[in-house]
Amino acid sequence: MSNEDQMLEPGQIEPPAGEIRFLFLAERDLFARRAERFRLLAPGHPLADYLSFLALLADAQQEALDSFPILPLPTLEERALCRDRDMPLLDARLRHRDRAWLEGLGLILRRMAGAEVPAAAREAAAGLLTCAECRLEDLADKILAGDQAAVPPPELPFVAAALQVYWVHMATALGEHAFARLEAGGVCPVCGSAPASGIVHANGSKQGLRYLSCSLCATQWHMVRLKCSSCEATEGIGYYSLEGTNGAVKAESCPDCNAYLKLLYLEKDGRMEATADDLATLALDMLMAEEGKVRGGPNLFLHPGGEVEEA
Amino acid sequence: MKVTRRQFFKISAGGLGSSSIAMLGFSPGEAQAEVRTFKLARSTETRNTCPYCSVSCGLIMHSLGDRAKNAESAIFHIEGDPDHPVNRGTLCPKGAGLVDFIHSENRLKYPEYRAPGSREWKRISWDEAFTRVARLMKDDRDKNFIAKNAAGVTVNRWVTTGFLAASASSNESGYITHKAIRSLGALAFDNQARV
Repeated sequence: MSNEDQMLEPGQIEPPAGEIRFLFLAERDLFARRAERFRLLAPGHPLADYLSFLALLADAQQEALDSFPILPLPTLEERALCRDRDMPLLDARLRHRDRAWLEGLGLILRRMAGAEVPAAAREAAAGLLTCAECRLEDLADKILAGDQAAVPPPELPFVAAALQVYWVHMATALGEHAFARLEAGGVCPVCGSAPASGIVHANGSKQGLRYLSCSLCATQWHMVRLKCSSCEATEGIGYYSLEGTNGAVKAESCPDCNAYLKLLYLEKDGRMEATADDLATLALDMLMAEEGKVRGGPNLFLHPGGEVEEA
Repeated sequence: MKVTRRQFFKISAGGLGSSSIAMLGFSPGEAQAEVRTFKLARSTETRNTCPYCSVSCGLIMHSLGDRAKNAESAIFHIEGDPDHPVNRGTLCPKGAGLVDFIHSENRLKYPEYRAPGSREWKRISWDEAFTRVARLMKDDRDKNFIAKNAAGVTVNRWVTTGFLAASASSNESGYITHKAIRSLGALAFDNQARV
């Protein structure tokens, strides 16, 4: 009998807490777990090689995170100011980046330039290694400003990977108490980025609650169900899944703003991970695109090519 | 405040040829081909309130289709609303069985009448049902209405008939029910709103 099938005894069921916890920061082993998930998803998948490559990239991210130096954190004054002004404390667009992110990027690029991946991927990594720092900073600025389309497709995953490490490091160093709920429910309260996907939890006090998962720092923040994460409309929301599947992944789609975001229902599969399972279910994205729908949040490991709409 | 400029991507089968996948040296061909074997299934999730008792637990009902088109929308799943402050996603055993209540073959869908002494339930029209109820109420009230008590004080009571209203009514329909029944003088009046 596997873990998921185990019957719970009455005393083991955690009652719903009085207050809904609004924020869960990423754990320090996020990238190792993501790598594990990519490795589980890859065999037999139409994009098996790409998913295996992302497993290696996640390994490199974990290594970079484990060796990250201790950095100065925002002062208590800054924290109070952000709270008062309804601003994310680690705003991806505004906050000065410590040079340490470049060290992390260097480590990731060296690992990937020497990895058993297609020549094009190795060359992209090697090319970035010899890049001037100012160009790397410029690419980072574009990604963090939400302008991923302006970054060359083969370079986006590497630079974004290093930025993810930096933001996960900063967020976990500060701890949950440093962050407050923002008025805008659809952006990350830690860094202000758009979500990559949403997770509907299955266990304990989180059962049935939907958390959005940040595309940059993997923070999960609470947003009520049946609500568009892009424009916060609640009317006429539709749920699309691939016919014949168990409905573990559904696209929550809004008729008002025409955007959708994938939701992962952990009740159907408890092993799913926000970034990995998003990339393993691109078939759903492609069918949504045929319906004329657009994604409400990016996955930083995929420059989708083709057309991009601004909002 | 607009925190970030948000881009709305389309991840299309056509775009994958110039995506990170292709540009990093992976072939998107198989994924592009696989898509043609899939179809989208659409469902709708709708918030509602449990009809059983006055606790009024929040529900999320899952149904097939989009409710707008001609397709029949069938409810296939009901769960407690995890965001609802009353029940936080939990349901009692009756509430947890709601989807079977909806699809039950024994569910009452029209008025039925069983005459005194009879063992048979007979289907009647809504019109017949309303007329009969109103007739019986009027007859009973005409016969038993108490306008004044023994001391000659006006009381306008009607105590031989009671009225039980629904549990899942809104505040407004509760108000209207109260107005209608109390103005007949009925004292025995309650909502089926007790657990």
